[in-house]
Amino acid sequence: MSARDTLQSWVNAGRKVVHEADAKALMGDMGIPVPERDPANGPLVVKLCHDDYPHKSDHGLVKLNVSPQDAPAIAAEMSAKIPDGVALVEAMEKNSVVEWIVGCKIDATFGAIVLAGPGGVLVELLDAGEIRLAPATPGTAAQMLGTGAGAKLLAGMRGAPAAHSAALADLISKVSVFFAAHSDLISEIEINPVMVRADGAGLVAADALIILREDAKT
Amino acid sequence: MTKTPLNATESARPSLDDALQTLFDPENIAVVGASRTKGKLGQAVLELLKKNNYRGKIIPVNPSGGEIEGLKVAKSLSEIDEPVDVAVLSTPVNIALDALEECARIGVKVVVGVTSGFNEAGEDGSENEARLQQILKTAPFRLIGPNCEGVVRPRSDLQLTFSPMFDGLDDGPVAMISQSGALAGLMALRLGERGVGLSAIVSSGNETDITAADLMEYFGADPVTRVILCYLEELRDGRRFAEVAKKLTDAGKQVVVVKGGRSGAGTRAVQSHTGAMAGDDRVVSSIFREVGVIRARDSVSAVDATIALATGRKPAGRRVAIISVTGGLGVEMTDMAETEGFEVPVLADKTQKALSEYVPYYGSVTNPVDLTGVVLANPSYVGRCLEAVCDDPGIDIAIAIITFVPNQTFVEALAEAYKKTNKPVLIIWTGASRSAASGDAFRENGVPLYDSPARAASGLAALRGAGEVQ
Repeated sequence: MSARDTLQSWVNAGRKVVHEADAKALMGDMGIPVPERDPANGPLVVKLCHDDYPHKSDHGLVKLNVSPQDAPAIAAEMSAKIPDGVALVEAMEKNSVVEWIVGCKIDATFGAIVLAGPGGVLVELLDAGEIRLAPATPGTAAQMLGTGAGAKLLAGMRGAPAAHSAALADLISKVSVFFAAHSDLISEIEINPVMVRADGAGLVAADALIILREDAKT
Repeated sequence: MTKTPLNATESARPSLDDALQTLFDPENIAVVGASRTKGKLGQAVLELLKKNNYRGKIIPVNPSGGEIEGLKVAKSLSEIDEPVDVAVLSTPVNIALDALEECARIGVKVVVGVTSGFNEAGEDGSENEARLQQILKTAPFRLIGPNCEGVVRPRSDLQLTFSPMFDGLDDGPVAMISQSGALAGLMALRLGERGVGLSAIVSSGNETDITAADLMEYFGADPVTRVILCYLEELRDGRRFAEVAKKLTDAGKQVVVVKGGRSGAGTRAVQSHTGAMAGDDRVVSSIFREVGVIRARDSVSAVDATIALATGRKPAGRRVAIISVTGGLGVEMTDMAETEGFEVPVLADKTQKALSEYVPYYGSVTNPVDLTGVVLANPSYVGRCLEAVCDDPGIDIAIAIITFVPNQTFVEALAEAYKKTNKPVLIIWTGASRSAASGDAFRENGVPLYDSPARAASGLAALRGAGEVQ
């Protein structure tokens, strides 16, 4: 099924917020690196994904540093809480040097836009997201990463290694192109955090959310 | 995202280019609601058209007929026995709606709707708005407004407005688009007072048909226009506005925008961080910057920015020389220049040597240059000092600061020095009203003139290019 068909099927099913497991599967198809599912070796992350609970940690639906032996029991326990959820068992990323947020939305004035900035816990601390029109070219995406407070983080502060900015710029552009091409169906995409490894080592999208348009045609 | 035409029978409608060409240089203008009664909008429109020597034919339209201001009155639009280029509607809304239908019937090319009472009036205007939309679906004309103050174009002696704020303007490099007529008036008057001419002013009102983006695109193709100055409250087609702005700024035109209603972005429930981080005002600033727009905080800083850009002189870098007849103002200007991201570097040895011929030992020739009060006794010195810093290859922009001026030579020497360089020069004259000299030499030569370092800083910030001007 094409990405458009998948999105359309979600719209037809009456979904509004698409949970992480489904959102990540779509990102993976798009060529965005996502964590390996059900790997043989730990540490692992166990999450319970459900459209009604986008903020999983607020509901105890995320467990980090889980061993492969313990994962099935933890997943079962979470599933018992939310019976129609999807349990997601993934490799836990340990090698990232910075966390980034990459999001797209429909702005009431300018239409499709893309935002990128320091992510993870820093989202709460800094309001340093760079915003551009979507789709953004890889060049524009690179320029977003070279601007503002985020640029210093990516370059590596106080001896920290530089992050793989080129891979991040590629992801930003890819997501923005995808969003702009499907903005008749999607109102927002957010990947937060993107775990960016040291330069040359790539990155992985650790969490993702897709919000479908309320007025999308079924 | 392209704009959906309002009109089903597009072929019958003049293209935007044709319509605006006609609007800015019409052969005739029908004034619907023309009146003899002082205080009525239709009377003011007629008076201002005549007073500013409009070259075409004015046709007053009023059911009572007869003559107004020596012009034969048509009892209705249908009674006019020649094609009408422009009809201006300055009547109450009910009459205006009837007149719009008549404009459609007789094939008027462009309508300027001064009349209010449409969607800007909320609920009360909704019926009128619906009828307007209905008329526009099949109308052969293009519409400016409604709820606007009109159109001014000095180049063709066209003063199609009820507001005297636009009187006596000269042609020049600035085109203005304003969703508020009053703000257009303020900015036009201030620009005119400082010797900056206007290629056109459009009070675009509700922009029900022709939008700011349409007008900007048109002005972008006008070779006289260097700067497009906009006051906007609501961007009707923001995506197209952004795309047009990018095209123009890439081609070397300057776009300065005051976007009103900054504080209006209310808090609302958002499900994602993206939604929270991309608040309306941050998006506007970011996208404006991306497409090369200079965003001014308010109408006064927008005028100050525009004055610096109107000369067409673009700095090669960010190195500023500041010369001042007083140390204090030089220091204040230096602080502001550095805050705006400019350098105030030490001048070249050769420049310092040239300056020391005029500056006494207790002054300073490094940068900022303190000429001291001694120069007041030698009116031509300031001009020579300005020339010297402009000749410095390590300087991209020069700022000269004067206070009270004892005689005319002073102003003329600075204006002469301005003419001799191609670098941007800003003049700060804090005591124009306490000086025994006229500033005409500045105005006639288009020298950017400010009354304080803070306002010159707005001009300086604009020379940086895309970004925010306080």
